[in-house]
Amino acid sequence: MTVGTPATAEAARAPVHAGSNVEAIVYPTRRDEAWRYAPHADLGRLTFGRPADSPGDAPLGIEGRAPVIEGLRIVVVDGRFDPLRSDLADLPEGLELLPLATAIEERPDDVAAHFAADPNEPDAFVSLNRLNGRDGAFVRVDEGCRLEQPIHLVDISTSRPDGPATCTGAVIHLARGASCSIVETHLGTGSGFGGSNLRSTITLAADASLTHVVLQDVPAEQIQLTRIEVHVAESSHFRARAFNLGASYGRLDYRVELIGEGAMADLAGLYAGNGDQTLDQQITVIHRVADCTSRQAFRGILDDRSTGVFNGAIEVSPGADGTDAEQSNDNLLLSTRAEVNTQPRLEILADEVACKHGATVGQLDDDALYYLRSRGVPADQARQLLIAGFAEQTVDEIEIDAVRAWVAERLGHGAVDADA
Amino acid sequence: MLHVENLTASIGGTQILKGLDLAIGEGEVHAVMGPNGSGKSTLAHALAGREGYELSGRVTLDGADLLDLEPEERAAAGLFMGFQYPVEIPGVNNMYFLRTALNSVRKARGDDEISARDFLGLAREALELVEMKQDFLNRAVNAGFSGGEKKRNEILQMAIMQPRLAVLDETDSGLDIDALRIIASGINSLRGPERSMIVITHYQRLLDYLKPDFVHVLVDGRIVESGDHTLATHLEDHGYADFVNHDLDDVPDRSLSGAAS
Repeated sequence: MTVGTPATAEAARAPVHAGSNVEAIVYPTRRDEAWRYAPHADLGRLTFGRPADSPGDAPLGIEGRAPVIEGLRIVVVDGRFDPLRSDLADLPEGLELLPLATAIEERPDDVAAHFAADPNEPDAFVSLNRLNGRDGAFVRVDEGCRLEQPIHLVDISTSRPDGPATCTGAVIHLARGASCSIVETHLGTGSGFGGSNLRSTITLAADASLTHVVLQDVPAEQIQLTRIEVHVAESSHFRARAFNLGASYGRLDYRVELIGEGAMADLAGLYAGNGDQTLDQQITVIHRVADCTSRQAFRGILDDRSTGVFNGAIEVSPGADGTDAEQSNDNLLLSTRAEVNTQPRLEILADEVACKHGATVGQLDDDALYYLRSRGVPADQARQLLIAGFAEQTVDEIEIDAVRAWVAERLGHGAVDADA
Repeated sequence: MLHVENLTASIGGTQILKGLDLAIGEGEVHAVMGPNGSGKSTLAHALAGREGYELSGRVTLDGADLLDLEPEERAAAGLFMGFQYPVEIPGVNNMYFLRTALNSVRKARGDDEISARDFLGLAREALELVEMKQDFLNRAVNAGFSGGEKKRNEILQMAIMQPRLAVLDETDSGLDIDALRIIASGINSLRGPERSMIVITHYQRLLDYLKPDFVHVLVDGRIVESGDHTLATHLEDHGYADFVNHDLDDVPDRSLSGAAS
């Protein structure tokens, strides 16, 4: 944000950590709709505080687990910027890319809004992130600057037995007419209980365009909370592609506000769970003004005893006429013990609004399996092909080859392209 | 090459095939005609290996016991089923599907995978055969295809799979005149001394193009009459009335022309 009062800038600079304000934070319970399927006992076990010491250059054991994206990269390990693993050389003109801790020191006004307490925000984990997430990434793309190469933000939680859950922040601002792609990859190491609490605040000025990809693949023992807050100004375009794949409890929480006429938010995602995973999508898109467009298209593939949650809201403020909003949630259950909870929430306080929503839950199509097998494709491979086909709609729309390949590999499908 | 002996098929306690015998020689094209509900599609699915049927009898393809095999093993043994209702598979690229299918069958037979270049050549020839453009391969399998496109895609697959025995289940249904001509000419050009076909149809029009070697009439789960292609003409003129609700003994006197070879 370009505007900040000295008071909030001071707040940003203040060395806050858990303890001083934590009493004011009230944890959610099962009665909170947005946290209904969360593992509350495990969430209560997470501790928050100053980040652990940097692991230095010791191998983290995540080699080969992140997509190989050429170019600029900020890597954060256990809540601290890691200069050894980052690459900030040769920044193109018009791009500022620096560790969040540096931005707090040098650009307090530009990060003030990220740290400003919101009295309307009851979410305890957002508050904890605000208090403890003092490092991460700061991205600013100048007016009219269009970046070709994607920027990679990597967050790694090493899950040390006595360490606190990591909190990391990203502050992303695209000035008027700017465009770029940002990939956030969330990984973890270790085999013990742990957690990470990530939060990105994104502002798009008029006519800006951002493609924002989230790849969440932390180990199945860890809790992973991702919160993404977006403000989209007039004629700007926010395009989100999210892959919620890892964690015991993987939570992906978008709050997108369309604040200028002609703004567009296009959110799509895939959650794929097995074992005892719970993968929770909490999506809120708010149409504040007239003539904005939003799309939510989320797909779930749930195996074993995994649980998928889609809680998707479209809120249309009074006066936001001409709103065009669609939402879909399609789920594939691969096991009789897998479960999905899908809930559309439409709150429409304007006239002349076009809102559509739909949800499906199904199993693999027996006819399609038979068809593939009759062509010689073995049963297991036929199943994989159908699952990949279900995921393809989300995967195919990724323009970054390395990310598409990573997702296909991670889902065990290999590439499904014709030229594979 | 295909021998069907006393094949019965039931689904949900209802018997549909009631002791069917059929013998098909190398390179022969046999048409199976019959009224609705006579068991034509059940015969096709019983041969292709669809789950859900209780089967008895014996079916061998080139000596292999077909009923013991999974659908994919039957494909590897050389069987190809052309579906009456080809299944839409959104998200699965047609080209990728075809290559996967061909390579699965090759692998099962102990052959190497086909190279991308050789496959492309094969696919181009197959496209020409059914008069489709290259972008046909870049779409998802049958998803959003018109009825005619779906049937052409079946023949395209047959051209790529090069089966020993093709079972074409009402491949002519829902086609306009032009599409029927394309499908028929595609099937004709895939005929050869090492490929046999069972063509299941309601109508004579496809058979006018194909001139099958034998025509069988399937009524109530049994083949009640077999003949040469003139039998199809007879059916077109007189319908199935001669064969329905009569015992086999009541069938008008027609010369049986060696279908049970």
